[in-house]
Amino acid sequence: MEPAKSPRPIISEFAGDPEMSELVRLFLGELPQRVRALEAAWREQQVQTVARMAHQLRGSSAGYGFPTIGSAAASLEESLRARTEADAQAVLERAAAEFRALVDLCSRACRPAA
Amino acid sequence: MTITAPQFDESQPTVLVIDDSPDVHRLLKARLRHEELDLRAATSGRAGIEAARDQRPAIVLLDLDMPDMDGFEVLRNLKNDPTTVHIPVIVLSGLQSAQDKVTAFDLGAVDYITKPFNLTELRVRVRSALRMHRLVQMLAQRAQIDGLTGLWNRAHFDRRLADEVAGCQRHDRALSLAMIDVDDFKSINDTYGHPAGDAVLQGMARVIQKECRQEDVACRYGGEEFALIMPDTTPAQGMVVCERVRSSLASVVWPRHPERSVTVSIGLAGAVRIRTAQPFDWVEAADKALYTAKKTGRNRSVMTDIDGGSRLAKAG
Repeated sequence: MEPAKSPRPIISEFAGDPEMSELVRLFLGELPQRVRALEAAWREQQVQTVARMAHQLRGSSAGYGFPTIGSAAASLEESLRARTEADAQAVLERAAAEFRALVDLCSRACRPAA
Repeated sequence: MTITAPQFDESQPTVLVIDDSPDVHRLLKARLRHEELDLRAATSGRAGIEAARDQRPAIVLLDLDMPDMDGFEVLRNLKNDPTTVHIPVIVLSGLQSAQDKVTAFDLGAVDYITKPFNLTELRVRVRSALRMHRLVQMLAQRAQIDGLTGLWNRAHFDRRLADEVAGCQRHDRALSLAMIDVDDFKSINDTYGHPAGDAVLQGMARVIQKECRQEDVACRYGGEEFALIMPDTTPAQGMVVCERVRSSLASVVWPRHPERSVTVSIGLAGAVRIRTAQPFDWVEAADKALYTAKKTGRNRSVMTDIDGGSRLAKAG
């Protein structure tokens, strides 16, 4: 899968919520580091670690107003957890696409333009 | 009289959040900021169980999906421990499956919130659980309070006496138990009517409450008989409290019958070191001392050292 040609930014659903703006800023600040950790684990084929990180992203990103990241993380987590000996290869191919989709979405998450 | 319900009228109830994800703690803190809650965080199942035991929160918000010990296991633990069994648990989870909800309810959860949190839903569910918790506590407490006098009732007395006998024995502490009986109560009822009799019982309760100490447990045992459990109190110290009750009562002027004063007879059973472990034996010993007080002229206190033979000391 090619990265989006003209990446559309994703803005938090809570962008207008003053209660949340500080938290969304914190989340966005930490996101690049989380993505780098996710990519490192993926390169080293640490399936369990990737699944755990996806799980955490799944739980938190929707809470910060990024449900699309949440559902991408959920698909990746579920694929990895459902993996069996027999279909390991097929699963990993599907997971690779899900992984790239997740990383792509994360890279597009940003603060609203002032 | 002290009401021992720690969360009963606290304006800032403690809410314990058990979740492995720091994001969830952060989000809940922001989302519940205006709810007047004392929000505590535990980031693992084990830490959560410990925190629930130590802090006795008003409610627990519990994540189901945690590494090592999952939420179901934590819930099982909380519900198997008498110190935490009554704490309402709201389960938090991203899992949508109906089976998980059923399992959580079967294990004793009171409610279920799915992640990501819907702000309004989260708030009303937490509020509703707190309201329910307060009502249940109030009912539990009411069920142990005597309606007429406001003292603890007989059911509470039975439980507390058993607890205090066992506790004082285990910790090598003294214990005293006084049975206090209004003298000639029947004639007060017969002469001035039952409302006057009720007023005497209420007045007695006030006197006992005023003269006993913070740790003492004042109960209406039944009819015109009251019981006062005095933990960590030697028989001699217990007698001081009993005599305070008697002399305080002597100065009461009764609006319905100012011409007639009210007196009590008191039987006290006590021990500096407890060997008699049966609560029933304590009541019997105090009753025996009370009987002696009645037989030897009323309006007096009689003490018996429950583990030091049948020596009776009198006052009054």
